[in-house]
Amino acid sequence: MNRLITALVAGAALWTAACGGGGATINPPPPIGKYSLATLNGTYAFVTSGEAITSGGVSATPFSRTGSFIANGGGGITGGVYDIVNAGGTSTTSSAPIAIMSGSYTVSADGRGTLTFNINSNGAPATVNFGIVLTSTKDGLMMDETASTSQASTGSGNFVLQDTAAFAAGVSGAYVFDFSGADANVNPESLVGQFTAGGGVISSGIEDANDDFNLTSGSISGNFAPDPTNSATSGRGVATIAGQTYAFYIVDSTRVRFVSINASGVGPMLTGDAVSQPTVPAAPSGSFAFLVAGASANGGLIRAARFDVSGGTVGKLLMDVNNAGSETEFGPSALTNASTNYDSTTGRGLVSFRSSTVNVYSFVFYLNSASSGVMQEVSPNDTSPAFAVADGSILAQSGSPFTSSNITGPYAMNWSGLVTSGGSFANQDEEDLLAQQTVKSLNFTGSYDLFQFTGLTLNLDRGSTGSINFNGGDGTGGDGKSATMDVNLSNASPIHMVVYFVNPQLAFFANRDNNGAQRIVAGILKAQQ
Amino acid sequence: MKSKTRLPLLFFMLSGWLTLCLSASAQQAMPSDAQLLRTYNASREISLMGRVVKYETSSPLPPMGAHVTLQTASGQVDAHLGNAKVLELNHFTLNVGDNVRIVGEPMALGEGTYFAARIVQKGTQAVALRNANGFPLLPASTLTPAQKEALRGVR
Repeated sequence: MNRLITALVAGAALWTAACGGGGATINPPPPIGKYSLATLNGTYAFVTSGEAITSGGVSATPFSRTGSFIANGGGGITGGVYDIVNAGGTSTTSSAPIAIMSGSYTVSADGRGTLTFNINSNGAPATVNFGIVLTSTKDGLMMDETASTSQASTGSGNFVLQDTAAFAAGVSGAYVFDFSGADANVNPESLVGQFTAGGGVISSGIEDANDDFNLTSGSISGNFAPDPTNSATSGRGVATIAGQTYAFYIVDSTRVRFVSINASGVGPMLTGDAVSQPTVPAAPSGSFAFLVAGASANGGLIRAARFDVSGGTVGKLLMDVNNAGSETEFGPSALTNASTNYDSTTGRGLVSFRSSTVNVYSFVFYLNSASSGVMQEVSPNDTSPAFAVADGSILAQSGSPFTSSNITGPYAMNWSGLVTSGGSFANQDEEDLLAQQTVKSLNFTGSYDLFQFTGLTLNLDRGSTGSINFNGGDGTGGDGKSATMDVNLSNASPIHMVVYFVNPQLAFFANRDNNGAQRIVAGILKAQQ
Repeated sequence: MKSKTRLPLLFFMLSGWLTLCLSASAQQAMPSDAQLLRTYNASREISLMGRVVKYETSSPLPPMGAHVTLQTASGQVDAHLGNAKVLELNHFTLNVGDNVRIVGEPMALGEGTYFAARIVQKGTQAVALRNANGFPLLPASTLTPAQKEALRGVR
């Protein structure tokens, strides 16, 4: 207990060192918008991934939560369950998820709020706390903000309204999935693939795995069973896929959330969603943006990029890379020899390009529709050892040109990654930010919560400003002109991002330099509907 | 009981002749070798011996993390040690003037190269900083089984 309190105090001192630089104090604007307690009403499936440290722990550990909570529309959480897995594999079990006994939530007019779960931890009452920003009446972004005497934890995630009527149908149909995290030895691991399920079994499926830079690909099998206690209320079940046990939560007929669980307490920490693939889409055509994140042998890795593809020809490439704090932007002339192939029976494809003869970038993707899919890096040549273990999303760009006319209004913002602190023991650790910003004339103002685990520094309800710059381009990057974004947090140096807009409602971004502090962070801007 | 990697004495006896000037060898990597430097390959490992000139738990230079500058017989070499908390958890300290041995290999990053340390040793204490494929270990990688079991309390 004392250790945590001491660390929290020490963290306040570290903040100046980590983020100082003459930034002004920014007061948060008064909340304005259409949201209220009544907006959050129903059963929601949620996921967060981040780090935790307990009062008896010697170091923070990566961990993931996936579960379901019930909001009553009046500020109360009336129930739910969730599963948790830590790096190395300690987890809840198939028959014993964590029960949400009760809880509460707040929602301001701007969609920002808090969420508290009351649970029993090792027989004693405990709470876990989150910040939330609603992005519609059906979903939102969330950030773990637990800072109690027994546990401090951070992490980013989201929640989606569940269709409870879909629970009885189970997992049925074709799905594309992306599970990521760490293997039993806390080495990076990524699984992407496609399966078709019915009657509680996977009838066919394929998977691309990258476990600690070793690539494998092949067929998978598996099965699904409802949790007899929690299936009807939370959509929970237990699956075995390619030999690994998962707890799953049915969101609706189009999405299922998974988290690995390990009865022995040893195994992988994997979490992710499977999204329905109603039909296998035709070969990709049009403009696409993608974001993958993970690790290289240098450290944390982020690649944000875009390309055009037509008839199997790939062009108009643009890619920004943050490899362990070394940031590089590759313009169209720097990326050559692009190629792609696609299997129209599964939706699996490969896109490859290079910045030099020795720097070849390759990515496997699985499309669940003509406009979306999952992606895994398999650089350099889809053979082991890979340059990196990284995965993420690929989405079709639409609604361009992006201008001040269509990039406007309220947005939720979330980023997650690593930051370095200052102080006598400068080090690197997780950083998560959750914000709400109102964009007008490509400038924005808003409020944010920030949790830096370098010093267990939690800042709530701070003011922020910033700007988006299309640098004379159409905002897609297809003209070779990247979009950028500067974010000003209160009392901190500006943070410089590169932005890839998917459409006026969604953008990927990542830091493009180390102004203020070394960072490896990526996130999304999502319009509030 | 702290997690440490204690290397067989034979390993260090053999490693002496492998000691190279890493700054020179890395900078002179031929293009044909450059792609190899994007991945970590244990067969390319060499051993550095030298005196600590500078140690930073968080260097402004990439890769993000702890760096140590060693004065070797062939010149100064900057080595990336990964996450400083891994060293801290193993009660491993580095001070100017310390004589250390580092096992690792040159890696490419951006347009340059650096020395990626997998194992650092001072006296009889050695600590693993990367796994066999070069992934910089996390503090959680060093937890003992008892410490992992304690994580069941994480909610």
